[in-house]
Amino acid sequence: MKYALIAFVIVATFFSCKKDNVGYEPTPYELDIPSHFPDMIIPIDNPMTFEGVALGRKLFYEKQLSGDNTQACAACHSPQTAFSDGNQFSTGIDGLEGNRNSMALINLGWQNFFFWDGRAATLEEQILEPVIDPIEMHETWPNAVSKLYGSQEYRDMFYQAFGETGIDSVKVSKAIAQFLRTMISGNSKYDVIYKAENNLPLSASDQAMYATVSPEESAGYDLFKSLNGADCFHCHNGPLMQVQKFSNNGLDPVFSDNGRGDVTGNPSDNGKFKVPTLRNIAYSAPYMHDGRFATLDEVINHYSFGINISPTLDPLIEYAAQGGVQLGPFEADLVKKFLLTLSDESFINNPDFQEPQ
Amino acid sequence: MIKFENMKIANTILIAGCLALVLTSCKDDEIITCVPMDGSTLKLTVQPTFGAQDLHLDSIYTTAEGYKVQFTEIKFYIQDVKNGSSTIISDGLFDFRSRGTLLLEASGDPLDFIELQANLGVDSSINHDNPSEFPNSSWLNISNSNDMHWGWNPGYIFVKIEAKADTIADGNDIFDHNVVFHVGLDANMQTLDYANLNWLALGNDVHELQFGLDLATFLQGSTQSIDLQTEYSSHSAPGQEALTLKVMENFKEALTLL
Repeated sequence: MKYALIAFVIVATFFSCKKDNVGYEPTPYELDIPSHFPDMIIPIDNPMTFEGVALGRKLFYEKQLSGDNTQACAACHSPQTAFSDGNQFSTGIDGLEGNRNSMALINLGWQNFFFWDGRAATLEEQILEPVIDPIEMHETWPNAVSKLYGSQEYRDMFYQAFGETGIDSVKVSKAIAQFLRTMISGNSKYDVIYKAENNLPLSASDQAMYATVSPEESAGYDLFKSLNGADCFHCHNGPLMQVQKFSNNGLDPVFSDNGRGDVTGNPSDNGKFKVPTLRNIAYSAPYMHDGRFATLDEVINHYSFGINISPTLDPLIEYAAQGGVQLGPFEADLVKKFLLTLSDESFINNPDFQEPQ
Repeated sequence: MIKFENMKIANTILIAGCLALVLTSCKDDEIITCVPMDGSTLKLTVQPTFGAQDLHLDSIYTTAEGYKVQFTEIKFYIQDVKNGSSTIISDGLFDFRSRGTLLLEASGDPLDFIELQANLGVDSSINHDNPSEFPNSSWLNISNSNDMHWGWNPGYIFVKIEAKADTIADGNDIFDHNVVFHVGLDANMQTLDYANLNWLALGNDVHELQFGLDLATFLQGSTQSIDLQTEYSSHSAPGQEALTLKVMENFKEALTLL
């Protein structure tokens, strides 16, 4: 008994100080959060480090995570489409298509739930799904981890990021989550419009950008916010250009996809989907949860004339009885011009978000 | 025997040494957290009802006029919650769908709060502040206020009630009549004042103050009613002043101590 106790204490001593023994010293990563954004809350069990972000970036572009080593996360979330997929539905490694459009990966560190139906509560949880989804990357986590473990570079990177030998799906998801949290978009014309509107200080570059805001873009913003105009701002406002809720925005009178309702089991949630950000919307076509609209013109036309009434239609679509907000061609064009101010080229082209060489 | 005694001594020294090593070896990593003793936990809860029955979102209720109504959202802010100079908490957000009946939770002694005053809404002194700069713990932070914030200039939505109604008594339940009450703006803030508070002791030093929110009273107030057939939308916009004020006054009347 006594020897067992001694052995236990010695083992405990070694394990309790493993970090000290090997010199694991991760470098804290300071997020570059725009001045008009709220703080980002980082999970206590996944602090941001340079090593974690670098690993996450490499994993985001890692094709070995798929069953046949042909697809990475980036296959359906490419930089040039605001980290979404330009196709209506993404095609997995077996040639199968999903039934929902790939979501743009923007400002994910502020999201309260993930996927169009909100079935994942955290970013780390969300990342675990596509790898094992049979119509996406169609791999098992043990296989994926085994392939990564075969690489000395990965073994080193995981150790540097987490201070432990061994690789598992939790560490993979944590690393990718760290990388995704760095993908912040807050440098568009809209951002300087927002700052100027609220008397926040504008930097020299902000002022230069603000000088390029056209009267049509301003008029489009007014319509965007107007209750009697496009009335978009109830669901799309603030620094994130979205509110965090599920909404039935009148796409269908009956639903082929219940969306949130299939997650909660509550019929009152049928036909509801996550309200997405409008940031970088010019890049992230096609639109809606099922990618049914190829262009912004089609989207604006839907809210103008195409609203379908159903039992769970969002009450905020107040002009549903007349089909929508009835924007004429001139007004629709102004709203579109404003929507294009949400493009953030520095986000799309940020070298830190591209595939590492 | 002597050998055995020596071994006992040696073992004791070894164990003591190992324990000392364990206790001191990770000093650099130690995080000493001092948890302050905050005393009791005070909870304010609100149970929405429709008349005598508990209200459930998306369920159907019949108004005094015979309309059928399904409430889909009930949210409101209270702010500067205090008894005289003793503050319970700076702000609280009721969100029936997301947070259930909980209005706020704070540390404090119920004996300090035998009366309670609060703003129904957000005071003009902070209503137009940068919503990103409130601390993460505040319900006024834009990440927490979410769709209860319009923008800096109009500020926060104080009371939000959304519903779908059927105002045509033809026997067909078709809830195609949208009801949207979004009330804010400085002039519409109301003050709440309650005396003789009856804190319920829940155990573990948790005390709860229970409020009721009767949506039937909200629609059919003691002095003014809201007819959903004609009074179904207010965003506190110009031209909507009368209904906006009625929404706030009736809401205040409907929110009572249990």
